[in-house]
Amino acid sequence: MSLLDAIPSGVLPPLPVAIPLAVCALILMLSKRLHGHMPDILATLTALVASALCMLIATRAAESGPLIYWFGGWTPRDGHAVGIGFQIDAASAWIAAFIGLLYAAAFVFAWGYFTNVHGHFQVLMLLFLAAMTGFCFTRDLFNLFVWFEVMSVAAFALTAYRLEGSALSGALNFTVTNSLAGFMMLGGIGLIYARAGTLDYEGLRLAVAANARDPVVAAAFCLIAVALMIKAAMVPFQFWLADAHAVAPSPVSVIFSGAMVSLGLFGLAKLTWVVFSGSDRILAALSDAMIGLGSLTAILGGVMALRQRHLKRMLAFSTISHAGIMILGIGVLSQAGAGGLLVYLVGHGLVKGALFMVAGILLATRASIDEIGLRGLGRGIEPAGIAMALGGLLLAGLPVGLLDQGTHLMQGALDERGHRVALIATVLGCGLTGAAVLRGAARIFLGWGSVAGDEARAPSEDEQEKADRPLWLMLAPCLFLLALDLAAPAGPVEDLVRNAVPNFLHMSEPQTALPHGIAWLPWLSVAMAFAIAGYDLSRGHLPKVLLKLGSGVQAGPFRLLDAAHSGLIGDYVTWIVVGLALLAGRLALA
Amino acid sequence: MTPIMSALPFCVAAWLFAIGLYGIVTSRNYIHLVGCLGVCQSATYVLLLAVGYRWDSVAPIFYDHPPGTPAVDPVVQALVLTDIVVGATLTALLLVMAIQVQKRRGTLDPEELAPMKEQQAADACKGRVAEPQR
Amino acid sequence: MSLRLRLILLALSALVLVPGFGSVIGHIPGFGSEIPAYGELINRIGPAERQVANMVSAINFDIRGLDTLGEEFMLLAAIAGTVVLLRGQRGTDTADTAIRLPGRPLVPRAEAVTLVCRIFGPLIAVFGLYIVLHATVTPGGGFQGGVILASGTMLIYLGEGYAGWRRSVLSGWLDAMEGGGALVFTLCGLGPMLVGAAFMENLLPLGIYKDMLSGGLILIENLGVALAVTGGFTQLFLEFMEETREPAAGEDTPSE
Repeated sequence: MSLLDAIPSGVLPPLPVAIPLAVCALILMLSKRLHGHMPDILATLTALVASALCMLIATRAAESGPLIYWFGGWTPRDGHAVGIGFQIDAASAWIAAFIGLLYAAAFVFAWGYFTNVHGHFQVLMLLFLAAMTGFCFTRDLFNLFVWFEVMSVAAFALTAYRLEGSALSGALNFTVTNSLAGFMMLGGIGLIYARAGTLDYEGLRLAVAANARDPVVAAAFCLIAVALMIKAAMVPFQFWLADAHAVAPSPVSVIFSGAMVSLGLFGLAKLTWVVFSGSDRILAALSDAMIGLGSLTAILGGVMALRQRHLKRMLAFSTISHAGIMILGIGVLSQAGAGGLLVYLVGHGLVKGALFMVAGILLATRASIDEIGLRGLGRGIEPAGIAMALGGLLLAGLPVGLLDQGTHLMQGALDERGHRVALIATVLGCGLTGAAVLRGAARIFLGWGSVAGDEARAPSEDEQEKADRPLWLMLAPCLFLLALDLAAPAGPVEDLVRNAVPNFLHMSEPQTALPHGIAWLPWLSVAMAFAIAGYDLSRGHLPKVLLKLGSGVQAGPFRLLDAAHSGLIGDYVTWIVVGLALLAGRLALA
Repeated sequence: MTPIMSALPFCVAAWLFAIGLYGIVTSRNYIHLVGCLGVCQSATYVLLLAVGYRWDSVAPIFYDHPPGTPAVDPVVQALVLTDIVVGATLTALLLVMAIQVQKRRGTLDPEELAPMKEQQAADACKGRVAEPQR
Repeated sequence: MSLRLRLILLALSALVLVPGFGSVIGHIPGFGSEIPAYGELINRIGPAERQVANMVSAINFDIRGLDTLGEEFMLLAAIAGTVVLLRGQRGTDTADTAIRLPGRPLVPRAEAVTLVCRIFGPLIAVFGLYIVLHATVTPGGGFQGGVILASGTMLIYLGEGYAGWRRSVLSGWLDAMEGGGALVFTLCGLGPMLVGAAFMENLLPLGIYKDMLSGGLILIENLGVALAVTGGFTQLFLEFMEETREPAAGEDTPSE
């Protein structure tokens, strides 16, 4: 430890961003000379180093407050920022450390999978990592946009990697919608810059507080929030996600679902609290919008997940559902809510990453991703089945591990503020997505559920990934992520929420007593997951009346939902405009 | 200046964004759609440059004018430069995808390019048996 | 959703958005009336503290240099992505001839074209370098100059034909230029940290105001960016041009 202590805090902040960038430039420069597993090794080590540096920053920030760093030595003059700053509180640093670990796991999982592209895969992934870290650390609005775009560009290219028709259409939808998000964000930045005359969070915060009812500020917020909500796949901006995550290579989907989507929410939470919390008008509108849209998203994502047969598409919809639950943590506008969001983000990332790895294992060893086509074919790779079932249970809310601690905090915060509907939505979202994963696990690994329900009509496609890795090499990172989720100790996490979150939120009066969630709620969602999965799996044995009732309930509105997820970019962009109008309308009324 | 003139650039920006969106929503060809996305992006150029403009000021390059001459805002110009690079990268990527999608699906009509085909209920349980590996 | 339904939804949204836009217009500082305080501050700082005449370069490569680092890597990501996606199953074979559309006549290149390209190629290269080197003085810089330099390489294709272009432009070198340039830029950031300064702090001698060699570190960063952009854009041209190559035996012609 003495070696680590010797590193002064003052040099740490730029390193987790600069080191991956330097390594990525190096890999590209030497791409023709790096043979075999060199790029894999370099990339994994870099991700681990970045993660370790973030952890070091986190402990330093916990001891002595957020680390502030001014690039180029441009310290503020007379209180006005000149250059770009990083401000790293312990919570942001922990999130970045988690992202680094997730990348390391994904690199190990993808070991050798991308050798034929001369390290270009590692180049893109490392850039993606650096951008995410920069996104977490920055305190400059335009710098945030730059990292947002670097993230997007790397993601677009990675999505289309398989170069099949579906992958390309999915990537096109992803690119067009997220580019629009970028433009809206830049528009919002332009507007708020016109009002505030600065791009630094602190300066913006003062300007927002001084112009609390200014339509220019409200419009800027509206555009920036919509941009981040497109990234975070809130209803009605969620359409691109199912297309993109379903077609991306599985190691990439691990990152997409585990980190990229929730990072949109992280950014939104940070901007909401740090910049826009000075305006009552914005806070009131935001709370309503996030609680409403979040509840809707949680339920819709869950319902759609249950109606899928393509495993990655099903996991993608479950990500939508859980993102909906996470945004509730912003909407309740309390410390416990924000803390719940951060803990949930990490827990969900770990579990969802592990589940996408199981999907990747099936793609590599069983050459299919279709739940119905794979029925009973999971024999021989039981450990993957156990991982999948465990992942399903954790998604459903099994009260152990980090994800549950997040759920607990979040439900406590919702209960405290009396958001009953949102509370029910969290239970439904967890239950439905858990049921979908459990049904898949039982069908694939136990061979149950010979008669399929509505999911048989869902879109699917033949797909496979190269089977060039031993099973244990793919299983190890998957189990590692699950173990990390299960092993996270409850006490320190709660302390972190109590101590680190106020700094993250720039909150002047921290709450010391955190509300506690209702203990039996997680069991309710687990029971619901078992009941729904059981119903779906035993269609062959149930009385006809019951089945008729079930399909009767499912018929009309759900078919409409299926039809809305048409895969057509024109529809998606229309929905984006509708969502923008909804938020703008709510802001105008506030 | 007249009130019309002081609002005009912002109206142009909004108009560009709106017709760009209209173009994307109604597009029947991906190359056209990429162009429309570019139109949407030009709205951000106009907005940013309008925010940083001031009448009777010079460009923020103090070569022919001594430092201290009233100049327009250089920050938005730097932001627009970054924005242009964003535009170039997006266009390149989208065109690559369009080329590849044309090769594979034989069409560039966004209305015919849904990512996955819906399955017929008939082939529901027709599993493909894959050879177990290692 | 039918087109009609989409347009109806768009129109309904416009009903909400247009009044909102109207109230924004009513409150935003009018066009041309004032500029944000940040811009005023930089217009004061740039010439006084960095001996730089071109404020946009001062922002891009010094005051807000981190943005440009991100921007540089965004370009790198896009080009790496383009290479992965275009090369795909095509492979990296080279051939001597471009693909030929049946029925289209093959017109031999006029000698005048070759001559013009050989004259203008070097001129464009010099012009590109001029733009790169005068980043701190006049409009221009690494990005703009790099794109000009890269477009100069297209004259090789025009003047010498596909085979000549393929012989003189090698993808491995382009990767090295692109990665190397980006690495130079990153090291310009990390280097000052070795002597205890901040990331990308401009410690080099700042030179004389309005002189080509002014701005210290800004010049080196510009060279790095120019290298990366030249390599990157040429790579982009190369990959798109490869789409016109006759596929070699055994390479895929995908279809579904």
